[in-house]
Amino acid sequence: MDVLSGLIHGFSVAVAPANLMWCFVGCFLGTVVGIMPGLGPAATIAMLLPLTFKMDPTSAIIMLAGIYYGAKYGGSTTSILLNVPGESASVVTCLDGYQMARKGRAGAALGIAAIASFIAGTVGVIALMLISPPLAKVALSFSSPEYFALMALGLAMVVLLAGKSLVKALLAMLVGLWIASIGTDLFTATSRFTFGHSELLDGVDFVIVAIGVFAVGEVLGNMEQREAPQVLPVPKGLRNLLPTVEELKACRFAFLNGSIVGFLIGVLPGAGSTIASFISYGIEKAVSKHPEKFGTGVPEGVAAPEGANNSETGGALVPMLTLGIPGSSTTAILLAALILWGLKPGPLMIQDNPNLFWGLVASMYVGNVMLLVLNIPLIPLFAQILRLPVELLYPIIFGISMVGVYSVSGSLFDVWMLSAFGLLGYLMRKLDYPSAPLILGLVLGDSMERALRQSLMMSQGELGILVSRPISAVMLGLAVLILLLPLFRRANAWRVRALEENG
Amino acid sequence: MTRTLVAALLGAALLTPAAPVLAQFKPTKPIEIIVHTGPGGGADVLARFIAQAVEKEKLASVRMQVNNKSGGGGLTAMNYVVEKKGDAHAIAIFTGNWLTNPLTQAEAKVTIKDMTPVVRLVLEPAVVVVKADAPYKTLRDFIDAAKKQPGQLKQSGGSITSRDNVIRQLMMKQTGANWAFISFPGGGERIAALLGGHVNMMVIEPQEAGEHIRAGNMRVLAQIAEKPLAAFPKVPTLKEAGVDIPYVPQVRGVVAPPGIPQDAVAYYEDLFARLSKTATWRKYLEDQQFEDGFQRSAELSQFFDQFTNRMREILKDAGAKVVR
Repeated sequence: MDVLSGLIHGFSVAVAPANLMWCFVGCFLGTVVGIMPGLGPAATIAMLLPLTFKMDPTSAIIMLAGIYYGAKYGGSTTSILLNVPGESASVVTCLDGYQMARKGRAGAALGIAAIASFIAGTVGVIALMLISPPLAKVALSFSSPEYFALMALGLAMVVLLAGKSLVKALLAMLVGLWIASIGTDLFTATSRFTFGHSELLDGVDFVIVAIGVFAVGEVLGNMEQREAPQVLPVPKGLRNLLPTVEELKACRFAFLNGSIVGFLIGVLPGAGSTIASFISYGIEKAVSKHPEKFGTGVPEGVAAPEGANNSETGGALVPMLTLGIPGSSTTAILLAALILWGLKPGPLMIQDNPNLFWGLVASMYVGNVMLLVLNIPLIPLFAQILRLPVELLYPIIFGISMVGVYSVSGSLFDVWMLSAFGLLGYLMRKLDYPSAPLILGLVLGDSMERALRQSLMMSQGELGILVSRPISAVMLGLAVLILLLPLFRRANAWRVRALEENG
Repeated sequence: MTRTLVAALLGAALLTPAAPVLAQFKPTKPIEIIVHTGPGGGADVLARFIAQAVEKEKLASVRMQVNNKSGGGGLTAMNYVVEKKGDAHAIAIFTGNWLTNPLTQAEAKVTIKDMTPVVRLVLEPAVVVVKADAPYKTLRDFIDAAKKQPGQLKQSGGSITSRDNVIRQLMMKQTGANWAFISFPGGGERIAALLGGHVNMMVIEPQEAGEHIRAGNMRVLAQIAEKPLAAFPKVPTLKEAGVDIPYVPQVRGVVAPPGIPQDAVAYYEDLFARLSKTATWRKYLEDQQFEDGFQRSAELSQFFDQFTNRMREILKDAGAKVVR
């Protein structure tokens, strides 16, 4: 079936009233789940799975996929308004989104996040539809050395996330890498840094650290300032709650960057949306004309990561649908669902079930439009949260954070850890350590270590394997370039100063 | 008179153990099934299937409810089971991990020996696969190639304590060949490594491999099963392929908290014995390509000891740090 006739057929499936309804149910649930910190799309899909047994598999996958990409839309809301990452992939959105909100541009930030999500989500579906099979083959050529190089590239972004002091950023990153190493080592089955606590055997959940360091740390820091009656300014009038033309123009490249980077990283089974959003944020900052403004509330800093984590969804579906290989925890559950419904996910599934594939693709176009329509009117409403006086808002943020963390595991130990990381976040703020590098180290640490050890096991200890393969060599080269960036800037600044003094 | 009474009492006492089906235990509230994975995980799917099947076949007077106690590498669930001491309304799904993991986890405060064995239910077979364009047509080819270049060939799999590695250790010991084992956290990454040509071989569940074989991406060299699987009638078992190692299945079954009354154990044994004879259960085993591994409490207790002892030896050979 060629693409056009496939798509037409797909739309005939997707716009059937029942499927439209399930698509809406999925998108709506996804938005809700995305807004709530803690509970992620993977857990939601798993909980709803038993309800889908009696449904038609096409309707069911349309609904479950709706939850998956819908959650990516909702995830930005609490990141921007409260500095509480709603989803692991929305951590990067906190960096500039929350700063925009502090400047009174909360509505604009939410609007940009929704538009970026829509554009990138749609680009992701188009790419999924057009280039899935060849791309899936390319993804297979990625192995541990390439993953190591990709993670190294991601880690090099630390120089772009650093504030005033690169040393402090590197220290924060090392702490992140250390936290990533807590838990059971996959290769030897020995536990590391658990201090006898069985709760730590699975490692520290990324969500706990992110919510602790960002949200709890921020609130603790703000509570010291007594004078502010209201946390953030909220301008009156609908126009001030939506992004301006200039802001949207500034995001042109970010929309594209987020869409492409997100999709490509999504296709790789060993990466993930958090890495995608970090890398697209880094690229955006590296090519920006005003990189120094990143972290103070620039719209591109919201558009790039939000775009990346949405088009990642389309990418992640590529290996799952074309090869039957899940690339993330959510796609793993979707795959389990397909098996439970009696389908056989694998290389032949698209051929055997064109209804399902094309119906799903078409429903994703419909779903992205639905999500945009669903999210834009909610923006003015959500922005009102910030009108609450701090005596109410701070306890609410604490409450949301604790319930969010507790809902993931149902363990009080995790709530204690949240408090500990909240305190760490507060201290880092006090001592002027940036928190983004810590999160970066935590996200990449585990997979980077694993990729390095896998590579060395493949080459029997020969480090050359990391640079003898073209893709990994190129990426490592890029990483070195990024690391040298501050040196270039310094040299440039010195040259300018020298010229000025001479002249 | 007294003599007949004594005889009658004696007779009754002698008869009782022979008729455990007449046990007095009757559940009075919903039965909790504890699993160590989140929703959607292997043990969770099995537990939910059991709950559904018991309800559908009307095997129990009460409902069964799944309770996900994930985290702590399975220890959270195991601790929880032991804390439920004496509670006859709770059971748990155990997997091979419950037996193997505490061997290397110093953090484990309990082992499966602290619980009451109930029944063993399923054995999951596996197949040895290579990429379809690999030069190895038989398992012998692979082993000969591994012998020629020791340590050069690679197998993708899970952790060092996983079944994949146990089979590799046993095969290497038996044949004298030597190849590398590369751990990947997810099943998807393991398959991707094989299909991308980055590793040479893997041990995989037949159901997981089925579609890749049908699409012509993978070739099966041998099956790890006691009887040849219905889906692979022509594929030799390890023994037939010339590698005679003990059968290492992935095992799943049911345990209960410690200290529950004997009649409650008998009740659950009987419940699962009846479940394992239903058509619903038969079809489930067939769909999943599982083997029926039904064993009662006494046999299961012996199985735990044998399995744990064998695993301890294998893990020591593999270089893992065994703590108990």
